[in-house]
Amino acid sequence: MASPILDVRSLTKSFNHFKAVDDLSFAINKGAVYGFLGQNGAGKSTTMRMLMGLIFPDNGSILINGSSFSNSQRHLLRNIGAIIERPDMYGYLSGWENLKIFAALSGKNIKTNRLHEVIEMVGLKGREKDKVKAYSQGMKQRLGIAIATVHEPDLLILDEPTNGLDPQGIAEIRNLILSLSKDHGKTILVSSHLLHEIEQVATDIIIIHKGKKMIEAPVGELLHPDDTRIEITLQPAPGLQQSINHSGWAQYSPEISDGVLTIKMNPAQIPALNKWLVEQGIEVSGITTQHSFEAYFLNITHETTAADRTV
Amino acid sequence: MIRRSLNTILILLCLSVQASAADANELFNTLRRKIFSVQDYTADVKMKISVKYMRIPQLAGTLYFKSPDKMRLERHGGLSILPRKNINLTIRNLIPAGSATVIDAGQAQIGGKTTRIIKVIPEDDKSDLVLAKIWVDETSMVALRIETATRNEGTLTMDLEYGRYISNGLPDKLLLTLDVKDFRMPKGMTMDYTESRPDEALKDTKGKKGTIQITYLSYKINTGLSDKIFTPEASEP
Amino acid sequence: MKQLLQIELFKIFRRPRTYISFGIVTAITFVIQLAMLTDGKSYMSFALQGVNEQFDIHGNMINGYFITYIILQTLLIQIPLLVALVAGDTLAGEATLGTLRLLLTKPISRNQLILAKFMSSFIYTVLLVIWLAVVALGLSVLIFGRGDMVNIKSDTFILILQNDVLWRYAAAFCFAMLAMTTIASLSILLSVFADNSIGPIISTMGIVVVLTILSNLDLPLFNHIKPYIFTTHMIGWKGFFDDPVPVRQIGISAMVLIVYTVAFAGTTMLVFNKKDIKS
Repeated sequence: MASPILDVRSLTKSFNHFKAVDDLSFAINKGAVYGFLGQNGAGKSTTMRMLMGLIFPDNGSILINGSSFSNSQRHLLRNIGAIIERPDMYGYLSGWENLKIFAALSGKNIKTNRLHEVIEMVGLKGREKDKVKAYSQGMKQRLGIAIATVHEPDLLILDEPTNGLDPQGIAEIRNLILSLSKDHGKTILVSSHLLHEIEQVATDIIIIHKGKKMIEAPVGELLHPDDTRIEITLQPAPGLQQSINHSGWAQYSPEISDGVLTIKMNPAQIPALNKWLVEQGIEVSGITTQHSFEAYFLNITHETTAADRTV
Repeated sequence: MIRRSLNTILILLCLSVQASAADANELFNTLRRKIFSVQDYTADVKMKISVKYMRIPQLAGTLYFKSPDKMRLERHGGLSILPRKNINLTIRNLIPAGSATVIDAGQAQIGGKTTRIIKVIPEDDKSDLVLAKIWVDETSMVALRIETATRNEGTLTMDLEYGRYISNGLPDKLLLTLDVKDFRMPKGMTMDYTESRPDEALKDTKGKKGTIQITYLSYKINTGLSDKIFTPEASEP
Repeated sequence: MKQLLQIELFKIFRRPRTYISFGIVTAITFVIQLAMLTDGKSYMSFALQGVNEQFDIHGNMINGYFITYIILQTLLIQIPLLVALVAGDTLAGEATLGTLRLLLTKPISRNQLILAKFMSSFIYTVLLVIWLAVVALGLSVLIFGRGDMVNIKSDTFILILQNDVLWRYAAAFCFAMLAMTTIASLSILLSVFADNSIGPIISTMGIVVVLTILSNLDLPLFNHIKPYIFTTHMIGWKGFFDDPVPVRQIGISAMVLIVYTVAFAGTTMLVFNKKDIKS
């Protein structure tokens, strides 16, 4: 079995007695797209900064392609491209000049053709000569991705790559990530608050909460249809909660509150449930399925201790 | 008998003093005539100023003189530095020009030469010169040293060496010793890098005396210099 | 390393503030030249009042060489500020922009980055001083002409013959480059502790001003520590206009400045290699 492209072991980092990352371990295999999830302040950016050598861990190790990464081994970053938080560049230089500078520092001999290629890939053709300070946030994000990918790294680390983008921009970045993964075989570690976006691109998920890893698993394992959260808006009826608790639907932990019935089950059973409600004389005015993944994430991060949720 | 002898000796003494005084006057007048015969000169010079608070390298230039009191140092693009009342650089202006009382002051050796010392007191009360003491080489009829007490400039001493121009009474070398005052600027204004080190030669003078040494390389005498050479415009760039 | 240096220089010389520095040097020089053109004689009379009591000085005293010496006094405060403006921004400015984060995701060692920043700041400093030499000496000689140079110390009047001046200026400007390099190193050191460039720039100037005052106060309390303060030695360039030139003293000053520069640079590397980049 091939060794992981990135192997993080027992990473720990504290800032003034505050543990930002606590004994974090995970491994990223070649070709995968890892969604790195967590609430604000969970430790995602701190982790990513440690992976890139921006922050020094208090404990733990990072292995890149099997080699131990440290401040003296920064040459290992040659095969990694990263955007950490927002992509800040030299505003007084053009997009082209910024790309050229960072390409030159990539440790590889990047030809001009390649620069044109990535400019076109991220959709900045025609605007590359403009000063970056005139770019919109979306354009800066795209330039950031260009800078991260220009040297054709094996591993991409993207911290909130869709930040500040409009829906179209988000969709473009999503498609780009998919293309990089499927068409170019890149391994990607991507963090985002947009869970449904992660769900669409990720093959694996890592969830951290308060610096600790909650779960690390393939998406397929997490998004079980039976874990889908369904909300049905209905006309309040006295005794409905009691009725449903005594019915076969009780196994799905139904809860009625403020005219909304919440139940966790496979969406394929919605028609049956709807029929039962109608038979009970209950008027249903709306049915929504809450994203199972989002439900899973919210469940995990609302738990008080990580130990109860580790898979 | 004894009284007659004493009287004779007394009369002879008076006569000899009178004769001596006449000699001193004659000597001074002859010397002065020789010195004053030079109406103007142009000399190539090298000048070295040694004053405790000054660091000046040897200056090369052309010294112009026109009697009675015009002098200018031309440095051909450089700065000329002369003592105030630069006339003191000539022998001419260290000796009284008008009537004066001349007293014989004996003899002395200077540089292996026997010189006759005369003291000259100007009769003009308004003269800046109070007393001039001159060591005269009677053989060549030149002054080897002049020591002049002035009202405003203190005491000036001039030592002279002669060569080719001895017949004109013009020296090859002149060393003027003069009184100098201190020089101070606020340290905060100048922000000095190092403390000043006194010139070795002037360490013991406690800054009271300075010297100006002039070496005259050549002279052009009595060429009829124009007054224009000495105008302030001629000195400025 | 060469590529990194080229990139650093490219960044410095693409920023308008760099050219503002050169412009300010020109403006300062011009202002002093204008002042001396209109009022130089009064200045000279005041400065030489002690000498003028006993000596008559004639000739082109207010010449280009003398004016340049006055302009070089700005090496005390104004030029260090312009050096700090660029050097203090070199790390902290990148932190403010967020580009430091992006730079350090590249496979370049932190030491290489710091070295490149030091070298680029050094080159900028050298060019700034060369520009100062051109506008100060070149323009001053053009406007005021040549002549013997007068140097007035607190208790000495020094005359330097005009054919003896130029090598002194060459040496003085070289020394000035060294002194300003020390300032640049200090700025970069302070820059490593900050996330915005205002702090290092102001701190550098604060340190220079306070230590310069200390270096010039003639108090027994400070006299013991003066030899160890770098600002005392920053004016070593003046030694080249002394007679005789205090070669040993200048050598000591140069060594002190080199030691400080190396110490600042070494400390910067040490701190930067341990620093968490949170910007």
